[in-house]
Amino acid sequence: MKKVLLNVWVLVFIMGVGYVHAKSRDYISIVGSSTVYPFATVVAETFGKTTKFKTPKIESTGSGGGHKLFGSGVGVQYPDITNSSRRIKKSEVEKAAANGINEIVEVKIGYDGIVIANSKKAALMDLSVKDLFLALAASVPNPDGTPTVVPNPYKTWKSINAKLPEIAVEVLGPPPTSGTRDAFVELVMDEGGKKFDFINAMEKTDKKQFKTICRTIREDGAYIEAGENDNLIVQKLEANPNALGIFGFSFLDQNIDKIQGSSIDGVQPVFEAIANGSYPVSRPLLFYVKKAHVDQIPGIREFLKEFTSEKAWGSEGYLTDKGLIPMSADERKKYYDIANNLIPLNPSDL
Amino acid sequence: MNNHTNNDNVTVRTIDLVQKGLARRYKSEKRFKMIGLCAIIFSLLCLAGLFVSISGSGYTAFLQTKIELDVFLDPSVLNPNNLSGADFHGLVKRSFYNMFPEVKDRREKKKLFSLLSSGATYDLTDFVKANPGKIGETILLWVPADDDVDMLIKGHMNRDLPESERRLDDVQVSWITRLEKQAKIEKKFNTTFFTAGDSREPELAGIWGATCGSFYTLFITLVLSFPIGVAAAVYLEEFARKNRFTDVIEVNINNLAAVPSIVFGLLGLAVFLNFLGLPRSSSLVGGLVLSLMTLPTIIIAGRAALKSVPPSIREAALGVGASKTQMVAHHVLPLAMPGILTGTIIGMARALGETAPLLMIGMVAFIVDIPAGFTDPSTVLPVQIFLWADSPERAFMEKTSAAIMVLLLFLVVMNSAAVFLRKKYEQRW
Amino acid sequence: MPESPTPIKRRNQLVDRNIRDTVGQSSVPNPRMRCKNVSVYYNFGEKKAINNISLDIGQNEVIAMIGPSGCGKSTFIRCLNRMNDTIDGCRVEGQILLDETDIYDKKIDVVPLRAQVGMVFQKPNPFPKSIYDNIAYGPKIHGLVQNRQETDEVVEKSLKRAGLWNEVKDRLNQPGTGLSGGQQQRLCIARTIAVNPEVILMDEPCSALDPIATSIIEELIDELKQEYSIAIVTHSMQQASRVSQRTAYFHMGDLIEIGPTEQIFLNPLHELTNDYITGRFG
Ligand SMILES: Nc1ncnc2c1ncn2[C@@H]1O[C@H](COP(=O)(O)OP(=O)(O)OP(=O)(O)O)[C@@H](O)[C@H]1O
Ligand SMILES: [Mg+2]
Repeated sequence: MKKVLLNVWVLVFIMGVGYVHAKSRDYISIVGSSTVYPFATVVAETFGKTTKFKTPKIESTGSGGGHKLFGSGVGVQYPDITNSSRRIKKSEVEKAAANGINEIVEVKIGYDGIVIANSKKAALMDLSVKDLFLALAASVPNPDGTPTVVPNPYKTWKSINAKLPEIAVEVLGPPPTSGTRDAFVELVMDEGGKKFDFINAMEKTDKKQFKTICRTIREDGAYIEAGENDNLIVQKLEANPNALGIFGFSFLDQNIDKIQGSSIDGVQPVFEAIANGSYPVSRPLLFYVKKAHVDQIPGIREFLKEFTSEKAWGSEGYLTDKGLIPMSADERKKYYDIANNLIPLNPSDL
Repeated sequence: MNNHTNNDNVTVRTIDLVQKGLARRYKSEKRFKMIGLCAIIFSLLCLAGLFVSISGSGYTAFLQTKIELDVFLDPSVLNPNNLSGADFHGLVKRSFYNMFPEVKDRREKKKLFSLLSSGATYDLTDFVKANPGKIGETILLWVPADDDVDMLIKGHMNRDLPESERRLDDVQVSWITRLEKQAKIEKKFNTTFFTAGDSREPELAGIWGATCGSFYTLFITLVLSFPIGVAAAVYLEEFARKNRFTDVIEVNINNLAAVPSIVFGLLGLAVFLNFLGLPRSSSLVGGLVLSLMTLPTIIIAGRAALKSVPPSIREAALGVGASKTQMVAHHVLPLAMPGILTGTIIGMARALGETAPLLMIGMVAFIVDIPAGFTDPSTVLPVQIFLWADSPERAFMEKTSAAIMVLLLFLVVMNSAAVFLRKKYEQRW
Repeated sequence: MPESPTPIKRRNQLVDRNIRDTVGQSSVPNPRMRCKNVSVYYNFGEKKAINNISLDIGQNEVIAMIGPSGCGKSTFIRCLNRMNDTIDGCRVEGQILLDETDIYDKKIDVVPLRAQVGMVFQKPNPFPKSIYDNIAYGPKIHGLVQNRQETDEVVEKSLKRAGLWNEVKDRLNQPGTGLSGGQQQRLCIARTIAVNPEVILMDEPCSALDPIATSIIEELIDELKQEYSIAIVTHSMQQASRVSQRTAYFHMGDLIEIGPTEQIFLNPLHELTNDYITGRFG
């Protein structure tokens, strides 16, 4: 009796594995950026509920992780789409090509603003990228004006900029693994560094040195890595009015009763300012489609259609309710055409 | 033997010595008891604190704000032969606008409609599909309100704050107040939470998808790790000759039990996904990975349990002529079973709460459809908690706590099952 | 093959305590079991517990083994149904024949051997199952009973022979471990005889029994010896003299003296035996 049971058990297991192996996939598999995740999931859900197709499966793997999975090959075990909060890199395209992925469709879906926010209980901050660079870089230009760098001596905002309040520099932000961190470093720290002539010059002459200065965040406790969970940062800001936090715009949007976004270079992080590009810390959000999978996996065309419809990504679309900053009508038109005609990316454009 | 006489001579009697030390002995006994009691009270307090704080922030998720709509099931819109193509969305819109005839402006209308969840349309669709006979009548239907409305009604959004600091503006709040006066808006038991899969709309998100995923995953884990673990433990403990080779195996198993769980995820990625080509994100692979993780726990617990069976029982069985296998199967294993079960349950409970290894095999994913089998993409309860905790919408906060409550409930059920099974076994033997 | 008889010493002139060769006739014609030069080592050869013992167990005979605590009686008796196999690091040397077959032969299956050579252990060890199941287990696994009715009969008969029936007949479904120590020992005896072994090894079967229970067991032994051979270890010299035909005296791993029970107790040949039975030793 027990023997029979055991045999049945083994048999079922082997058959199960075999059966699974042969089965094809009937849902879209999406991976990639955690910043795009909240938007892609809404589209996927709407797509699943309003069409005959299954709801796509979306994993939040980070942009880099997404490109790696996406570029590993063609076939049902590999994802069809990867989300990204940055453009695909040339090296990633090459790797994909080596794995037989020759045609990749690039679709931009809108923009995301990175905000530097604090609790409503504290005063609104008016910062510049230079202030932020001086506050957060591990080494900063010598305060005496000589073109050398010294370990960051600034303890309070006032010591950086006399207009700023006399409170300690304390910034909660994402860890290096996060796409938000990448974008922040690129858009704020690099730009802030360039405000100093000798560092600016360095970008041409010694790119490596430039990156080391601009992209190394201080580790003396003024910058606190708060993990990937932006909700946690919001909660901590509420508890500590002196601290600033760095996160995506959608978290500010959802918590406007508790936190406020500092203006950067005089521009407030509001919807319109990010959309028209006057707010300096914003980045494009994109996704990439493996053309070889279209028509192999059911529903990819229809999913692209849903994503690029005005009711989704339009200026009044449901994605804006979730905090997406839409593109201009022209840009939308451009990417609508690319997505629906599956025009592949030209690697030389990168 | 002659102690008594000795003691008489030296006048120090044992009893005197005993009496002298007695007070100290009792004192240390008392102290020990106190420490134990304090430990128990402390852990109970922590537990109670956890429960209270989680239920405190989570219980509201079991209620959902709903709005009552009068819907005229217009036969000109709803063609019973082609219900799928009907414009339910428009019907919902129209019905809702009818309740606020004074709202004319397009922007205002949009604001008004945003009070309703997108789930309203799906609810109406389901209703009509289930009752096609009602077409032509006017029905009353409770549909879910938007999560912002839900937050306002539940008091998580403060009406007294200035308009700019709320996600709902003054006009919207006034509409809600009006609905409240008409008793058209109400908190109702949130069945969606227990029947739906994940959603990006908090009011439509449910725990059922993750629960099914957890169930499938744990089923695979149990079916694989229990028999294999018990077999391995029995073999190592009862049959294998003790030599260097078994020592190496033992050390390795103990090591495996302490390996961080993410490593099993990496292993699963390499072996089950890349090599065997099993479907990513499926509970099958999740179960395989978790059984790798659970196996060492079960083997170690199993061996300890087997070891604790007194050798006299083995001798008794062998003495009446049982073979070694019979001895193990009839006597040793049943006696060790309570211990093995405890180990298994501990292992399974750990597996139930695991997210890290599942990340590597794609189970940390947004999955709306309820998994219907072992190969469907699915997620599990702790992952669902993790995903919700990471969502920007305020309303997901209470969902997170509610999901934790469900997870804890599962653990309680599992542990009770373990206790029950143990009791049963102990009675039988 | 019988060994050359040890020369009989004069009465009163005992064999010196330092001479450890076996005194007396260790072999019998046509034995049931024959042990030749058996030595047992524990702890992977570190400790020698039994030293070169030769001893026969005759047909329908009760042989008693006596000796001070720790002298190797249990070790020896456990060799006879290969119970020592279960002890890690225990090695048995020499030859033990059961009806002319070497029980330590590689081809020998221990399962039928132990069904043939039953054992009652020194410490009562009932299964933590019901009284009924304790008795029924052996007959069941050996296929001695086909149905419930036969099982009932075996259980009743075995319990009656072990003198336990009256005490437990109303609670056969209660666990065997819930009995008193003496009852447990009788339960183990009943369990052993339920499989009808041909040789029964008893390691101090009466150590926890009152005189009444003891006499029941002794009657049982008398009855069993009509058909079977019995080896019994005991610390009670009265018991040895009551039930056994031959007695073997062990001392620190050596078989010192063996002979007819009467002779051993009335007229021992070895100094150590003499000391022991007269109470000067241990
Ligand atoms: N499992 C074992 N491992 C190592 N040594 C053992 C083991 N069992 C018994 N011995 C040793 O072997 C010797 C003989 O032991 P044995 O149990 O045969 O004595 P015994 O004659 O039965 O004594 P008792 O009358 O007290 O039961 C003792 O010195 C004992 O310490
Ligand atoms: Mg003994």
